[in-house]
Amino acid sequence: MASGDKLRLIVVTPERTLLDEPVSALRFPLYDGDIGILPGRIPLIGRLGAGELRIKAPTGDTSYFIDGGFVQVIGSNVTLLTNRAIPAKELSAADAEKQLTEVLARVAKTDEETATKFADQQRARKMLALAQRSHS
Amino acid sequence: MAKARAIIKRLKAVRNVRKITRTMELVATARFKKAMDRATQAAAYTRKISEIVADLSNTMDEGSSSFTHPLLQQRDTEKKSILLVITSNRGLCGGYNGGVLRHAQTRIRQTKADQIPLDIEVSGKRGIGFFKFQKIETTSSYTHFEDKPTFDEVDVLAKRYIDLFVRGEIDRLDVSYTKFETMSRQKAVIETLLPIGKLTSAEPASSKPKVEYDFLPTPKEILEEIVPASFKARLFKCFLDAAVSEQIARMVAMKSATDNADDMIRSIRAQYNRARQSQITSELSEIIGGAAALE
Repeated sequence: MASGDKLRLIVVTPERTLLDEPVSALRFPLYDGDIGILPGRIPLIGRLGAGELRIKAPTGDTSYFIDGGFVQVIGSNVTLLTNRAIPAKELSAADAEKQLTEVLARVAKTDEETATKFADQQRARKMLALAQRSHS
Repeated sequence: MAKARAIIKRLKAVRNVRKITRTMELVATARFKKAMDRATQAAAYTRKISEIVADLSNTMDEGSSSFTHPLLQQRDTEKKSILLVITSNRGLCGGYNGGVLRHAQTRIRQTKADQIPLDIEVSGKRGIGFFKFQKIETTSSYTHFEDKPTFDEVDVLAKRYIDLFVRGEIDRLDVSYTKFETMSRQKAVIETLLPIGKLTSAEPASSKPKVEYDFLPTPKEILEEIVPASFKARLFKCFLDAAVSEQIARMVAMKSATDNADDMIRSIRAQYNRARQSQITSELSEIIGGAAALE
């Protein structure tokens, strides 16, 4: 897939290679906001945040929920290393909501705890939003 | 008559054992294939991580800002360490557990000699039983790592270790497990996972053309994130390797058990035939003797 107008997306989790397919465009969250990748991007290494990975492929659009990790773009290859990647269709809004209430109920005392609480809260909110969107 | 029947009884018993060991061999083979698939799939992640790390450290070298991370620091004095022993939950797998436990014991003896407090954590019922028998205290034990360890399960452990290490409560983490090298070679080893000695593997870095990367955020911050990730991947690999090796060990053990049973069946069969023959002969000679006495 070395042609100039295609990207090859590889999504790897610690357990297995989830995806390895040609795509035409991508959008996913970095640590500080979303980034879009089109063919011909210059090489990039970045840290991922939690949120939605949206894939535009000739066969149709799909979306996943990804949870942290790293991205490497080199040539036409885009590699996402992430701890978790769940297809948006398999997300359940109820589960996400439960997680969110759990996080909100947590009492954070130190700075560190506040930071993790905030991060968890963000993640749960994004998951919930994506779950609701994909089921509506 | 009695003797031939006793032999038949034994023959049946051996045949039953053979049936069991043969089935276990087949089960182990099937499980091994699954475990092997998981291990090869997981290898992609580790490979990619070390690739990124190599790229990062290449760039870092040019910037000449030497990188330090709490997980990479070698501590001068070892005050406390943890030994994680990965064994199987089930037996009947040859020398698999023995090898791992032997290595673990060497390490335990060594820390005792150096007078370093050591926490022993065991995964697998076999190891737990062993340490109980040896009256060696273990701090925690896990039995939920079966032949399919998931990353989430390992992640919990890894997070705790990272926490302990960063807070300075432990200065070293060793893992004793069976390393999978090839299909026909697995070795019980003891590896130091924390502090992480070297991030990049010893592959030649100059073989690839250098790429100018865009870093988001800075290379340093990415490395800070990737170090724990790489540790987690390594710990996960230990568990996967152990799972694959266990199945291979069981396969081999059950194969030789089946072969042994086959040999035994053959020799018992021969014994039985001989016993039956001699019985017939003695009966015949009795009849002939009886007939001769009548004449």
